[in-house]
Amino acid sequence: MSSFLESIYRRYRYPAIILRAMVTSDLKLRYQASALGYLWTLARPLAIFSILYVVFVKFLRIGEGTPFFAIYLLLGIVMWGLFTEATTQSLSSIVSRASLLTKINFPRYVVVLSVAASVLISFTLNLAVIALFMIVARVPVGWEAFWLVPLFLELIAFALAVSLFLSALFVRFRDLNYIWEVFIQAAFYATPILYPLTLVPERYSRVLLLSPMAQVIQDARYVLITDQTQTIAQLYGTGWARAIPVGITMALAVAAVVFFRRRSRFFAEEA
Amino acid sequence: MSEPLIEVTDLSKSFLLPHLRQTTIKSQVLNVLRPRRTVEVQQVLDGITLQVARGEFLGIVGRNGSGKSTLLKILAGIYPPTRGKVAVHGKLVPFIELGVGFHPELTGRENVYLSGALLGFSKGDVRSMYDNIVSFAELDGSMDQKLKNYSSGMQVRIAFSVATRARADILLVDEVLAVGDAAFQRKCFDHFHELKRGDTTVVFVTHDMKAVREFCDRVILIEKGQIAAEGGPDDIADRYLEMLGAKAR
Repeated sequence: MSSFLESIYRRYRYPAIILRAMVTSDLKLRYQASALGYLWTLARPLAIFSILYVVFVKFLRIGEGTPFFAIYLLLGIVMWGLFTEATTQSLSSIVSRASLLTKINFPRYVVVLSVAASVLISFTLNLAVIALFMIVARVPVGWEAFWLVPLFLELIAFALAVSLFLSALFVRFRDLNYIWEVFIQAAFYATPILYPLTLVPERYSRVLLLSPMAQVIQDARYVLITDQTQTIAQLYGTGWARAIPVGITMALAVAAVVFFRRRSRFFAEEA
Repeated sequence: MSEPLIEVTDLSKSFLLPHLRQTTIKSQVLNVLRPRRTVEVQQVLDGITLQVARGEFLGIVGRNGSGKSTLLKILAGIYPPTRGKVAVHGKLVPFIELGVGFHPELTGRENVYLSGALLGFSKGDVRSMYDNIVSFAELDGSMDQKLKNYSSGMQVRIAFSVATRARADILLVDEVLAVGDAAFQRKCFDHFHELKRGDTTVVFVTHDMKAVREFCDRVILIEKGQIAAEGGPDDIADRYLEMLGAKAR
């Protein structure tokens, strides 16, 4: 057993050291020239929250009937933000590290993981802001909030799987970034982030909720903020309907790892 | 000769020529419509067989574009071989370039930690050797400026100073001696002598025949991706200079 642990340690020590160094230097670079530094990570969701509050709660009154609609919106935006940032930043990550990849041999997935890690750090800070608002607004939170752990794991797995695919594909297809930018815009509106799903005819919302992003966001809102929201379980009448988006995520994750491993041998000469 | 640490068997490497490679989806789509173009293949290495013993200091010489650096990168595991086998036994550290991973916007200190990490040193490892690194680079007191404010010579000294900390069974060195002033080159040479006395195996790509004669136990001459000659440092150095001379005339 100890020799097994030892071999794990030996195998992952070097990737872990590089990952840590990449993440810390990325964070230093990102904030060193700004006056407020790390505060920006908190200031951004606060500012976004104020805009959402004014536009959707005060002017459009879209979410009337949904309790705590502003916080409900913010949770959706923050979760969507993790996916968008992770995927768009990962997409070019391998190519932009080309000079490093051609000089030393280290596991290439570390590059994508380092992007994901710094996105996760700001995601965690954003969640802290949401928690703050929930305390101020006195949102009642029950034990079912612990479901957030598997839900966030699913979200991270999905974002990572797509990131691995995109970063490996971009090495070959350099116009992928334009395509992805447009796709992300379309997907943003195809995911119930800004609008309540009840506005959508049921035959469409049944399809929309099969997307892992839609399922995860709606479920997270349900367990954390309000049961006045539509989840895949309600729409299909059974929680087992989650098997489809969760299955998509798992299949995508396995395929992404296989594809990335196969392609990564050639990154140094193609990037 | 003890057991070989590096065994290369019938190694070949070819690249697709970049201007013929399809890099956009548009060109992929267009190529489905058009008759398929034949892809031009550039053969960089062709049937290299080579062994390097423990503690050996092997030189690799050859003209620009002969395939030396590609061979080094395949040994380092950066490029996969197209054909043939490469077996490396032991911890291998490549120096393809000095200052790999250096970032101009980070401070000297931060860059020491970063490039230390690329060599496999944890934060704690670097911390414990930090003072030695700085004094070896002769840069005390100025480590908290951004790297871009250092002269290129100072940057090279930091990079080399970190590199000398690497503990490896096999070092791959590509032409790093060509940089720095005379005093710094002396320091590099001293470090190399030290490596030679220890049992580190070194594979050394260079154009500097003086360095070849000074350090190498054995030298191979690569020409057009093949081993054109192999032998003692003096023989091969003479042959290489002769080859260049013939070309010049």
